[in-house]
Amino acid sequence: MTRHTGRGLSAIEYPTGMNQNGDPSQAWVKLKPDGRVDVFAGTVDIGQGSKTVHTQIVADTLGVPFDWVTMDVSNTDSSAVCTGTFASRGTFIGGNAVRFAAARAKERILAIAGDMLEIDPADLEIEDGEVRAIGAPQKKLSVSDVAGAATWQYGELITGTGAALKPFATLDPQTGRVELPPHSAISYAACVAEVEVDDQTGNVRCTKLIQCYDVGRAINPALVEGQIEGGAMQGLGLGLLEECYPYYPSTEHRGSDFNSYHVPSLVDLPEVTSLIIENPSADGPFGAKAIGEMANNAQPCAIANAIYDAIGVWVTEAPATPERVLRALERKAAGEDGPRRDGKRVVFDGHLSVNAVAAPGAAIRFPLED
Amino acid sequence: MKSVGASLPKYDGIGHVTGTTVYVDDVPTPNGTLWAKALRSPAHRANIKRIDYTKAAALPGVHAIVTHEDIPVNTYGHLSGLGVPADEPLLAESELRYLGQPIALVVAESEAIAAEAVAAITLELEELEPLFDIRKAWDPGAPQIHQWGNWYTQFEGGLDRRQIRKGDVDAAFDRADLIVEGVYRPQAIEHVPMETQVCLVVPEPSGKLVIHSCTQAMYFSMGVVAAHLQLPLNKLKFVGGTVGGGFGGKVDTATETLCAVAARKARRPVKWRWTREEEFLVSSTRAPWHVEIADAVSKDGWILGRKMLTLHDSGAYARFSPYGLTKHSFHHTGAYTIPNLRFDGYVVFSNRVPTTAMRGFGVTSVSYSTEIHLQRIAHELKIDPYEIRLKNANRIGDTTGNGVVITDPSTVSTIQMVAEAAGDELKGDYRTMTSAMRTGDLLPEHLVGQLGNPEDH
Amino acid sequence: MRITVNGTAHELASAPLTPLLHVLREELHITSPKAGCQQGSCGTCTVIVDGEARRSCLLPVAAVDGAHITTLEGIGTPDALSPLQAAFLEKAAAQCGFCTPGFVTAATALLAENATPSRGEIREALSGHYCRCTGYVKILEAVEAVAGRAL
Repeated sequence: MTRHTGRGLSAIEYPTGMNQNGDPSQAWVKLKPDGRVDVFAGTVDIGQGSKTVHTQIVADTLGVPFDWVTMDVSNTDSSAVCTGTFASRGTFIGGNAVRFAAARAKERILAIAGDMLEIDPADLEIEDGEVRAIGAPQKKLSVSDVAGAATWQYGELITGTGAALKPFATLDPQTGRVELPPHSAISYAACVAEVEVDDQTGNVRCTKLIQCYDVGRAINPALVEGQIEGGAMQGLGLGLLEECYPYYPSTEHRGSDFNSYHVPSLVDLPEVTSLIIENPSADGPFGAKAIGEMANNAQPCAIANAIYDAIGVWVTEAPATPERVLRALERKAAGEDGPRRDGKRVVFDGHLSVNAVAAPGAAIRFPLED
Repeated sequence: MKSVGASLPKYDGIGHVTGTTVYVDDVPTPNGTLWAKALRSPAHRANIKRIDYTKAAALPGVHAIVTHEDIPVNTYGHLSGLGVPADEPLLAESELRYLGQPIALVVAESEAIAAEAVAAITLELEELEPLFDIRKAWDPGAPQIHQWGNWYTQFEGGLDRRQIRKGDVDAAFDRADLIVEGVYRPQAIEHVPMETQVCLVVPEPSGKLVIHSCTQAMYFSMGVVAAHLQLPLNKLKFVGGTVGGGFGGKVDTATETLCAVAARKARRPVKWRWTREEEFLVSSTRAPWHVEIADAVSKDGWILGRKMLTLHDSGAYARFSPYGLTKHSFHHTGAYTIPNLRFDGYVVFSNRVPTTAMRGFGVTSVSYSTEIHLQRIAHELKIDPYEIRLKNANRIGDTTGNGVVITDPSTVSTIQMVAEAAGDELKGDYRTMTSAMRTGDLLPEHLVGQLGNPEDH
Repeated sequence: MRITVNGTAHELASAPLTPLLHVLREELHITSPKAGCQQGSCGTCTVIVDGEARRSCLLPVAAVDGAHITTLEGIGTPDALSPLQAAFLEKAAAQCGFCTPGFVTAATALLAENATPSRGEIREALSGHYCRCTGYVKILEAVEAVAGRAL
């Protein structure tokens, strides 16, 4: 038995928002008479922390403390439309909806404060819950006083609505060409994986993951790290442990419990390094781009590349279970693992191709011709 | 004090760490709540010859048995708004296409009685030959398992596949020093949220249904329920927003619609919670993918062109797969700029649980396939894996496969940063290169036609 | 049968073979222990029984007749978080929160027995608990932050 170590690299990109757009998020904001802020949106927090992130966006857009803001995403009667928490759209599209709503409410705060202070609203700013004259900060009012005046003197409910919607990007079915970007932004990442492979058992252990993500702007860095770290373990599961159908395409031996379907646990945790780059998007809230989904895409390929580096076999069916690793080592020992070389063509995995598996006469070939 | 940029504790964190957060299964059930269990297909593919509910319906404590006849619109397409027509019945009618497909929902005074009633239903089937290997869907004599044939035929323009066409791919292959081909097959996996699918529907006296849901998308799911039940939106109220993990699987609206139908039929609150076995065996999965790539490369490491064929295993019905394949096609060059492309992708049906959205939908399979492929190319050409990636990286002004100009790429900077963290020293120009628009010596001949103007966008 | 939960004694009406999890959730309406799998595998139902972390989903209540049981509600409250709960909050160690009751109860039991566990001992003690969101990094950091300090 020998343990081999190896290192693999990957680089990936991922879009923000639904592919081809057309996915609205909406929100509305109202102020209580003491200036505290209620935000109603339909964006479900599935644990990633969108309620926290949206609260941060609203607080800074309005210029009030974080703990003045209450986020309510509890039901469809009081909240406005959100297409949903998927497609890595929560921070950008949901975030823009609450940002736009807060900006509208801010306009009303400034209009009323301008009237109270007899200053042009354009010459006012809000910071730390206070409306201040730009350049003359001694002239100020608290947002609480403005909201109180709106309620008791001006007869106004300070409110704001916001809707984020990028139009649907129609495609040409022949070429796939689109007339406008079919996403809100693109995020990027790179990953280095290190593995240790036991050539007797076929067991692969991922020992280290170094990952760098461009998220545009980390509105809440701890929560961004949470996405990167959580995604890393799901990616490790994809690369090494998890499969519904161990003998795919057969449906035999499908696991129905945690003993037969292997979810990564603490014993599988490698050393994880998370690096964040902030290369801002043009129109996301505070420059943010998506992070959620892409976080499990970079590891499975980096792990497969590390396995090649360690033992010289390509495992191109994920996950790289001990059985797949041992079978690949057997093919290598039998001299059957290398690519077929034909002129300038280098053909790997010929036995997996539709060309080998589909019956003679089947109308599917690779590469397809037009 | 600015809050953007600060690692503030999670808004709902105190509830989570003290066990006081209320998830759907923690919502107190009103008096009279009934419990649901599903009758599911015991076969991969079959025709229903006979179902007899008599014994089940007569069991004490059984209040209603919901079948397809109780659902105003049984077959509604979740992506009809995107032009994907409906193919999947909420409850099976005469045909069964996967093991575990729901046929009926029994609601009773306890989960145990509901389960006993499900076991008391007589089901006679004519089993049919299933199709599992999507590579064999085109075989002469392959079982025909779906009303549209064995693959999705409803893409725009009457096409049965998703295509990307860019540049002159044949010329690129003629010109190439090397053509590297490979096959990549990432597997189906489960979402495994720690909270299984669960739903509680409470009818109000006005006829409005209050739906306590673990959906990731309240408005989307409300639209699905409204379409199946033909109800205006003021007759539905989704209560949710607190979810014990989703990862894409809780976009399926797996329990809400049937619970709503059952609550209306029984005129009682109805709760349905899936067991972990159901979550593993019959909830939708990430799709298995079959990806074949041929890349035309120059001996100094430029990717001149790519031909790619993708088969997306959709399972028994289309569900979100046409969307996922389109997203896959839009990103099939990964974080790199490749000027000449011929991509073809099919959504192929099989007699397994329908596959659905999962974290990275459509693109996880691209990353897996193309990044191993690129490593193979680097190995064949004896080029450093960092260098081949940096060379072909997306740069400002490059265009994507479908003609979108790239404005703020970070392929270069993310790779440089992991190299540094890993202690790998990049050589010369690769250490100092940026994502700046390609010009002069950095603009190879084959990429000249690629540049768009970022200022235009 | 009688059990004491978070300091309060309860006479039980449930049948003796009822899993403790169901007694807690359905008879006593204590809902922090979660029914994540009911297969004894995932750890979300963990509670502390006479000082020991146990999975309540497969544990017949008759087997714990007379026991003192602590659930997450009994470890600390929103107004008085235990140091471990505070660390889970500060370190963002809870995302969706569904597995958190199991992790915090199990780690509390571990630290009560061994106030200064090594990283390896923490990993071992919590390896039977699944978290699908966090990737465990911040959970490990939260437990380590408290290890060695008074509970």
